[in-house]
Amino acid sequence: MEPRINDLQVESRVHELLDFPVHTNQISSAIYECPNDHIENPKKKPYNCPHSGAKCDVTGDIQRLLLHLRNDHNVEMSDGRSFSHRYVHHDPKHLHHATWMLTLLDCCGRKFCLYFEAFHLRKTPMYMAFMQFMGDEEEAMSFSYSLQVGGNGRKLTWQGVPRSIRDSHKTVRDSQDGLIITRKLALFFSTDNNTTDKELKLKVSGRVWREQPVSI
Amino acid sequence: MAPGGSALKEVMESNSTGMDYEVKTAKVEVNNNKPTKPGSAGIGKYGIHSNNGVYELLECPVCTNLMYPPIHQCPNGHTLCSNCKLRVQNTCPTCRYELGNIRCLALEKVAESLEVPCRYQNLGCHDIFPYYSKLKHEQHCRFRPYTCPYAGSECSVTGDIPTLVVHLKDDHKVDMHDGCTFNHRYVKSNPHEVENATWMLTVFNCFGRQFCLHFEAFQLGMAPVYMAFLRFMGDENEAKKFSYSLEVGAHGRKLTWQGIPRSIRDSHRKVRDSQDGLIIPRNLALYFSGGDRQELKLRVTGRIWKEE
Repeated sequence: MEPRINDLQVESRVHELLDFPVHTNQISSAIYECPNDHIENPKKKPYNCPHSGAKCDVTGDIQRLLLHLRNDHNVEMSDGRSFSHRYVHHDPKHLHHATWMLTLLDCCGRKFCLYFEAFHLRKTPMYMAFMQFMGDEEEAMSFSYSLQVGGNGRKLTWQGVPRSIRDSHKTVRDSQDGLIITRKLALFFSTDNNTTDKELKLKVSGRVWREQPVSI
Repeated sequence: MAPGGSALKEVMESNSTGMDYEVKTAKVEVNNNKPTKPGSAGIGKYGIHSNNGVYELLECPVCTNLMYPPIHQCPNGHTLCSNCKLRVQNTCPTCRYELGNIRCLALEKVAESLEVPCRYQNLGCHDIFPYYSKLKHEQHCRFRPYTCPYAGSECSVTGDIPTLVVHLKDDHKVDMHDGCTFNHRYVKSNPHEVENATWMLTVFNCFGRQFCLHFEAFQLGMAPVYMAFLRFMGDENEAKKFSYSLEVGAHGRKLTWQGIPRSIRDSHRKVRDSQDGLIIPRNLALYFSGGDRQELKLRVTGRIWKEE
């Protein structure tokens, strides 16, 4: 039976055709993998590499990106059920957008990108940590995560829903959908062990969990 | 007592300077093991201590404050404090004679041998100090009056905690709540107007003590943020016995701050500038407000507890 043609879907197909000539290998997987399902299932669209540091043009399905992150970007994988990372920033006074870290987390067989980065919110220096789900948005919403920083009797906790890596790293950051720590507070949390303003040592702990079982 | 702003201040001031008179009735017996200078309870000084006249001599005739070196005098021997000397244009305020530049070393030496009670005796401090240690003590005396924690205007009212609680309620119309948990909704219809003046104060009665919950909008550098934090109406040592948490959230997200209330000895501004509280960037606050992001409707929940 001929698949029904819907204008909108044709349009999006045309769009993809226009998008992809550069990455010929992606075209093949996207088109031939499941030609019938393809029309109802835009989820098959390849993902962009979530490594935000350099302009990485690699795209692919999740498995491929995981291999790519591990082999080409040397990103490490941790257990997402409970983690604790320590970020050290030797020269926090000179903060620029390039200061950032990516770690992969595993929870329930799914993978998550944990970002930590320094940025300026309207010229005010901030640190931000947030998580993105390596998969589509619908499934991302079935997970929750928490991140916590603290010191000197204070702690700041963010509990959120991971965004899909369909959303660019920058989109998530600019929507402030994560744990935002001003530099002053970050340094205050760093001074536990007689460090001075010269060095940031921030311990971020957290976990990922599934909110409700997904029906697949 | 709860008269309005400046009236209360005057009352307080005249009280405290007046005290420098009243206290002279010998209170030495209270001074058992307090950290006064070793050997300062020596002979002779007791006699001076109960001598009212010497204290009057040490009071500046112009400002009525106690005088500290350099103490000045005119050729006729009328004394004057160094602050007032600068203001009287070289004329003795007592005899109108030309003032000159004569120091009254004798009175400075007499003062050195005196022991005086803290000016906050009526607020509970029973310590007695060598004359020249008194000022330094008073700056840090734990009984010294607190300044009004109301942040909106420059309120100069001072007093002990019960006085300030009444003052906040009567003069600033601050909301008082009983209980250690709270749930407040802050609404602002035009959150994009940038002004530092947007702020709120609520007082909580909890564990028989009072806590000030501050909520305000300000610019962190260039970034518009909201901030909520708690201050304890009491001194710092006691503040540390408490903890508090504040939480905002919506859409499956929540941001939680857990901290230790700062004493109202630390000014509102100092706490804010040290960022010792829950800071919510405006975008996030509007996201938590729901609706069309045109109006701030932020629900802040929290609680206060005592650390064991």
